[in-house]
Amino acid sequence: MMNPEFKRNLWLSFSKHKLIGMPVLLGLGALALAMSEKNPDRIPDILYTAAISAFIFIVWLWGARNANLSIVDELRDKTWDQQRMSALNPWAMTWGKLLGSTAFNWYGGAICLAVATIAALYAGDKPWVIDLPALVATGLLLHASLIALNLHTGQLEMQLIQRGGLGWIAIIFTLITFNIVTNVFILEREITWWGMGIPGRLFLFASAALFAACAVFAAWRVISNALQVRTLPWAWPLFALILTGYFAGLFTRDGDTPFFVIGHAGLIVTSIMTYGALFSEPARLPDWNMLRLRQQKKDWRGWLQHLPLWPTTLLLAFGFALLPSPKVNGMGMLYSPLLDFPVGFAFMMLRDACIVLFFSFAPNAKRPVAVAMLYLIVLDALLPFFFNVAGFDALSYFFFPVGDKYGAAAGVLVMATQAVIALGLVAWRLQKAKLAGTA
Amino acid sequence: MIKISELTFDYPGRRALNNVSLTVEPGSVTALVGPNGAGKTTLMRCIAGLETPLFGSIHVGGMDVVEQPRAVHRIMGYLSDLFGLYQELTVAQCLEYAAASQGLAAGAIPAAIRNTAEQLNLTDRLRQASGSLSRGLRQRVAIGQAIIHNPKVLLLDEPASGLDPEARSHLALLFRQLQAGGMTLLVSSHILAELDEYSTHILSLREGRVLENRALQAWHLPGAQRTLRITLAAPDTRLGDWLAQRLGALPAETGMDYAQIGFEGDMAAQSALLAELVKAGFAVAAFAEHKENLQQSYLRTVATHLEKMQ
Repeated sequence: MMNPEFKRNLWLSFSKHKLIGMPVLLGLGALALAMSEKNPDRIPDILYTAAISAFIFIVWLWGARNANLSIVDELRDKTWDQQRMSALNPWAMTWGKLLGSTAFNWYGGAICLAVATIAALYAGDKPWVIDLPALVATGLLLHASLIALNLHTGQLEMQLIQRGGLGWIAIIFTLITFNIVTNVFILEREITWWGMGIPGRLFLFASAALFAACAVFAAWRVISNALQVRTLPWAWPLFALILTGYFAGLFTRDGDTPFFVIGHAGLIVTSIMTYGALFSEPARLPDWNMLRLRQQKKDWRGWLQHLPLWPTTLLLAFGFALLPSPKVNGMGMLYSPLLDFPVGFAFMMLRDACIVLFFSFAPNAKRPVAVAMLYLIVLDALLPFFFNVAGFDALSYFFFPVGDKYGAAAGVLVMATQAVIALGLVAWRLQKAKLAGTA
Repeated sequence: MIKISELTFDYPGRRALNNVSLTVEPGSVTALVGPNGAGKTTLMRCIAGLETPLFGSIHVGGMDVVEQPRAVHRIMGYLSDLFGLYQELTVAQCLEYAAASQGLAAGAIPAAIRNTAEQLNLTDRLRQASGSLSRGLRQRVAIGQAIIHNPKVLLLDEPASGLDPEARSHLALLFRQLQAGGMTLLVSSHILAELDEYSTHILSLREGRVLENRALQAWHLPGAQRTLRITLAAPDTRLGDWLAQRLGALPAETGMDYAQIGFEGDMAAQSALLAELVKAGFAVAAFAEHKENLQQSYLRTVATHLEKMQ
């Protein structure tokens, strides 16, 4: 029997008119282009480029919109509970949604790929064997990422997310970044990765395939949890390790010890992932009570199943911070003074996480993440800047302890102190909630 | 069929369910009643496996809902109070999707659609887009989606809201049919008169706690005990003793000019009792079955609870 979720999406996205309309429109477009070109030798070139552009529009952009709406519509139309109540397993639900919601786009995309392949064979000099699979992998990466992103953030009950706005921001950001990175840094160059020279196009295809696989896996994991099939939190830190290996390979330069580069790259990756998870997961008091109860019952499996994502990468960040990490050559524009005191930086992440929890656990908390972000901007940027300008260097250092003036150990001590204070504030908040009978 | 132990569920700043323990008998229709915010919807969502409780256990058909939610969903149907339908799909497609996603075999789906549509008077609407239906018809399609796989347990949160009186009556009949077929139903509604028509049990919640969970007097079932109320035109001190001797048990309630008795006999036996009363010289002014409806029962329970609290 056909996957019911896939079939439902086919019902919604296909009709006889659409089935006929897509090839007719694309065929007419190709014909118009061919007829407008006076030099017949250039027709395959033009058709190849046009087919790729059409694929990018139909599969990447339009398909991303449909994948984005596949979750947003379920949440908005209140049909998501019915899906969660179905007996479909998470994998059937994942591929049914992923390929079903974008099936019409893949139908158009397949026509574009066929035209591009034929045009490339006529042109004779097109790297279609690598380019076309890379296009497909990138499309899949975009679609799966949006499904995972929307479901992961769906619990935040923000209007931006419920209207699919976050998905659109992600689509636009990804496409612009992808365009710049591929054209400027990758396509016509040789990429050095862990000392190996890899042609840019091949590297792009391998990267797109790797991350498409990761995105499909992420969508499956998020859907599993939404369907109450609880998972242990190993995938998020594993993805951090994969990203660390990927980027460390890119930033390793002659003279760098790979061990050191991994420390730096790992710290950057885990910090981005920790803050990303921290700001995208709802930190509600009942969820933390659930952890506390599992801990009291020594139900460690249940405890791990309910653990938020951010502590896993925060723990990894401490691991990376403890690696010996003298300055390295390859970090380039990704270098930050924070990387010069990695342990202090890890403590800073812990402090910031506690600040978010402190506001999230407040009675009648409204937009706790936004409030916490405001305080973090004041703590990490405005106060240090103000004190620095006013000439109070020691005070500025207390809030943002970077630089060699007082030594690395002082920076760690300052941040560890702040983290302990923040932990104390969270403990105080929990104690108050317990007394009020809400914890 | 449903066994819940020490179920506790928290929302931020509020305990929605507080140490709830209860059982729901197989083949029963349990009316889940309580004021707004009592925890009815949360309880249903926990049983349906849509929410994870803080602690406590829920077993449905012997399966742990928290550990095996997908397996439980195969034997369960759920109609949410805020249900949604796929607007662009036809009624037949909505029902087909529900049947297939609940694991019904492909060969059994057409018959399931046909039967469900007949049960809900939707046969002539099967080709219509669900988005074009009225509120009441949409409600019926949603109920159809919940029952199409013939679940053992059916949870219905405000199933009759938006239905006209005729459709409500039809729905009550449907629920009785489903119960007769062996299905266990848990139905939440604010309209207690409507629940009265088909409920066999009452489960009252208040502030996240169980106020009462008991079987109702099953007056509509054959052989069930009924309550008869005898009213005399003038006080007669013999009434209580006479009835005790005649029935072999003391009346449930008695006074100088009235008595309430539990009676298991049929209408002929009831007529014979009346004749004996008259023959014994009692001036019978009224002799009729006395029913305490669900609303009266619920309000009495709440009043008792409030008295205890004071």
